[in-house]
Amino acid sequence: MKRTLLAAIQYLLLAAIAVSTITPFVWMFFTSLHPPQAQIPTMATLFCPDGWHFENYTYVLTFAELPVWRFAVNSFLVTAGVVLFQLTLCALAAYGFARLHFRGRDTLFFVFLLTMMIPAQVLIVPLFTLVQRMGLLDTYAGLIIPYPYLSTAFGTFLLRQYFIGIPRALDDAARLDGCGDWRILWYVILPSAKPALATLAAFAFIWTWCDFYWPLLATSTTTMRTLEVGLSVFSDAYGGTRWPLQMAAAVIVLVPVLAVFLAMQRFFIRGAVVSGLKG
Amino acid sequence: MDHQRTNWRGYVFIAPATIYLTVFAFVPMLLAAWMSLHRWHLLKAEHPFVGFANYVALAQDPFFRNTIANTVLYAAFAVPLGVITSLAVALLVTRQLRGVGIFRTLYYIPAVSSQVALSMVWIWILLPGEQGLVNFCLDRLNAWLGTGIPTDTNFLGRPGWAMAALVAMSLWVGLGPRMVIFLAGLHAIPEPLYEAAALDGCNARQRFWYITLPQLAPTTLFVIVTTTIASFQLFTPVYMMTKGGPRRTTDVVLYHIFNEAWQKFEVGMASAQSYVLFAIILLAATFQLWIMRRGLREETLQ
Amino acid sequence: MRVFVVATLLSAVVLLAILSRAVVGRAAGSARIVLRVSNWGSPAVESGFMTLEREIREEFEQMHPGVRVQFEQIPGFGQYAPKLLMMHVSGSVPDVIALDASSAAVFIDNGVVRDLAPLVAEDPEFRLADYFERVVQIFRRDQRVYSIPLDFTPMMMYYNRRLFDAAGVPYPQRGWTWDEFLHAAQRLTIPADQPGAPPRQYGMYFMNVMPFWVPWLWTNGGDVLDPTGHQATGNFDGPRSVAAMQFLTDLMLTHHVAPTIDEGKAAGVDLFRSGRAAMDVKGHWMMIDYQAEGLDFGVVDLPTNTGQPTTVIYASGLSIMTKSPHADLAWEYIKYMTSREVQVRRVSSGLAISGNRQAAAHYAGTPVEDAFIAAVEYARAPWGATVERYPVVEALGEEMMEDLLRSRAALGVQTELHRAAQLIDAALAEP
Repeated sequence: MKRTLLAAIQYLLLAAIAVSTITPFVWMFFTSLHPPQAQIPTMATLFCPDGWHFENYTYVLTFAELPVWRFAVNSFLVTAGVVLFQLTLCALAAYGFARLHFRGRDTLFFVFLLTMMIPAQVLIVPLFTLVQRMGLLDTYAGLIIPYPYLSTAFGTFLLRQYFIGIPRALDDAARLDGCGDWRILWYVILPSAKPALATLAAFAFIWTWCDFYWPLLATSTTTMRTLEVGLSVFSDAYGGTRWPLQMAAAVIVLVPVLAVFLAMQRFFIRGAVVSGLKG
Repeated sequence: MDHQRTNWRGYVFIAPATIYLTVFAFVPMLLAAWMSLHRWHLLKAEHPFVGFANYVALAQDPFFRNTIANTVLYAAFAVPLGVITSLAVALLVTRQLRGVGIFRTLYYIPAVSSQVALSMVWIWILLPGEQGLVNFCLDRLNAWLGTGIPTDTNFLGRPGWAMAALVAMSLWVGLGPRMVIFLAGLHAIPEPLYEAAALDGCNARQRFWYITLPQLAPTTLFVIVTTTIASFQLFTPVYMMTKGGPRRTTDVVLYHIFNEAWQKFEVGMASAQSYVLFAIILLAATFQLWIMRRGLREETLQ
Repeated sequence: MRVFVVATLLSAVVLLAILSRAVVGRAAGSARIVLRVSNWGSPAVESGFMTLEREIREEFEQMHPGVRVQFEQIPGFGQYAPKLLMMHVSGSVPDVIALDASSAAVFIDNGVVRDLAPLVAEDPEFRLADYFERVVQIFRRDQRVYSIPLDFTPMMMYYNRRLFDAAGVPYPQRGWTWDEFLHAAQRLTIPADQPGAPPRQYGMYFMNVMPFWVPWLWTNGGDVLDPTGHQATGNFDGPRSVAAMQFLTDLMLTHHVAPTIDEGKAAGVDLFRSGRAAMDVKGHWMMIDYQAEGLDFGVVDLPTNTGQPTTVIYASGLSIMTKSPHADLAWEYIKYMTSREVQVRRVSSGLAISGNRQAAAHYAGTPVEDAFIAAVEYARAPWGATVERYPVVEALGEEMMEDLLRSRAALGVQTELHRAAQLIDAALAEP
């Protein structure tokens, strides 16, 4: 009996915490369906608005001055670009560090790891100046390529760990078939490393999608803004008014990243654990 | 294994990432140091060399001192509270209960969500009157307990409360990831240790203090250090909710640097401030490591 | 097969990045020049004024076939200047921007906006003399002209004539002194029926907005900064400024002719506008609201303690960004927007006084309008027109005012001003 009582208390506590975690999101969603001009709904009126205004979403997406659909497109492009770009860099480097032998390999890897120590704030100011000189401010390239969060070193580290774990026998078999390093990487290593790649992709996706600081600086024209920054501009534009519209925009920002998280949570949570235990 | 033969292909494979890190990590880091030694305004053409004048000025700047104080204060609350709460929740979740995975996922959601969207919602949570969630709950509490707690506090507008609100938000957001790491650490504790202790007649509390906590030490250390580092990087909620106010009580270092660099356009001074922040983070992390190492050594000596 | 797919994806992304600029540009309309115009404000607000401005822009497009005017509003309080400056740094700028006198210095002194003097000189149709000289002066540095005035307002003292009549107080005249003002305010303050309750009617309404109360310092010969605009210590806490601040806070704390912070918050409304205060220092734009309320008001210069009336003038003008590739077209736009015909329509709501003399004269003839226009002769430009970090000064000044109003007895005007002056100096100091 005591066991069941304990279990019940546990569930209750956990549920309470879950409620406090979910409530803001629930509120966000329901408020977004209130009439656009409505006051901030109180808890009493939250679930019974004056009609369900799904058109808030259409309005927000197509609002001429602040084209949220455009922000969404930008976010997708930039995020896809970063994920692909970083995966490529990291996979290549990880293969080099894991499978190939060359002078100074371990020293170079150590130097790679050192870069993880540099906090992003130190980098952002000079990075901005650098990117400005390259003429890449306010462009997609400027958003995709310079990624100040140094996940390149982290990604290389993660992939290298995984690659090392892949049995060399597979490599050797492929080499007997006449494969060179490139083909081994592509046909042997990467397919076996899908979990690690998925983890890295998941991390990179969520970091990039939710990134606020760098896109805030790297873009200045409204049409180039990503969703995260666009949302803050949207919020600025309305100030303390039109909460339903603001919340609709917020939901639009949240849905893709939550979808990716829920789909990839296995990888994401495992990745967090791996980085934790190794660090 | 042929260590002797240097495979030049290795260099080719690591070249892209190496070039990338050189251009986008090492160069900026050196550039930041360089810029911090100049008076460098983004709009002005002249960047005179001033040596350490920026750093000296920072030491005397009342606004920067205030910034550092705010950041340290924030970390001083956010880190211990964050670690303790996530450890507590991890302990709750670790037992073999059904549906635990769902809770784990739910708690993680704020951590992967858009900070901007979360900030907008937290503005609502903190509103005065019956519209704000916190005040609404206080109101219900008043009704239930007959207490007279005021329900019109504008949390974001009052100097002490704004910081408290930011700490609360950090607990809410960071719970998921920290809990997950503690869970992994808890699962790594070998079951035989507990069994042996139970055989020796230890109760649950003793098992916790003498087995769980010490075994968790490396994990706890990791969580403390990473949470500290993260708390020094607080930015988006300040930018969205308080703008450093009220009365500069939530002006934390990263927000201050942002203002310096992109509102005042003084990137030389901002670089100096970044390096000061870097130094503080290094100091804090090293200090924590040292403390924990000493604590561990004493533990093992006993 | 997979290699092919991935390679295509990668190259698609790369291609997109390179072509992004071209795509965006072409999406705007082929073979068209896009003139980007920026102003502050929230794009979410719809009003008659916004509709009018949009019509004017469309007329310009009709006059210049092949040109599209893209209007961008930059929201966020205090974000207009930083965001525009960031655009300047990134190299992707609007062509025409509105410049606010209170934050013009950083644009002018860093070459962010173009010197229009050569364009003015070369253009036979345009006469700078058509615009109020003192307003033009705000945006000048010697011979260089950085902005053509769009509209402006001096800060003046509004007074409620009905309340004055009821109290038997004669209407104030230009050149009236502080004593006369205080005397009138006291006679116009009607205490409440119950003891301890706030007055039924105040002599004056007060808002802690430094752009509104800074002229009070000037009416005693004091000021925030020294004449070069570099130092607050010795000026903000100098004897004249202290005396002015003492007088101002006395109104609320000693003579009780103006509401304290709490009383103002409790009232919740603009007391002058709702007819419960007899006087207020505001700009031209408030006339719209006062007329809507049906107030019978007059306008007079601020009371002075030096014998000479003084006040601040806030203005906005149109400028061309230095990095704009369409300088000539931008100049045509500016000429059009500041021309007499367009200006007459633009300020028809009474929002401000047109910077164009003839357009302003169109609305002259009433005592109120004439009082505003007459003040241009002596009005001073705000510090923001010459001091780059002035917005920070205003924020600090308002904090200090709030502290003073809450607990002046404990702190003392001199001490508070001195402390604020030191903070201001720290904020203005070179890094």
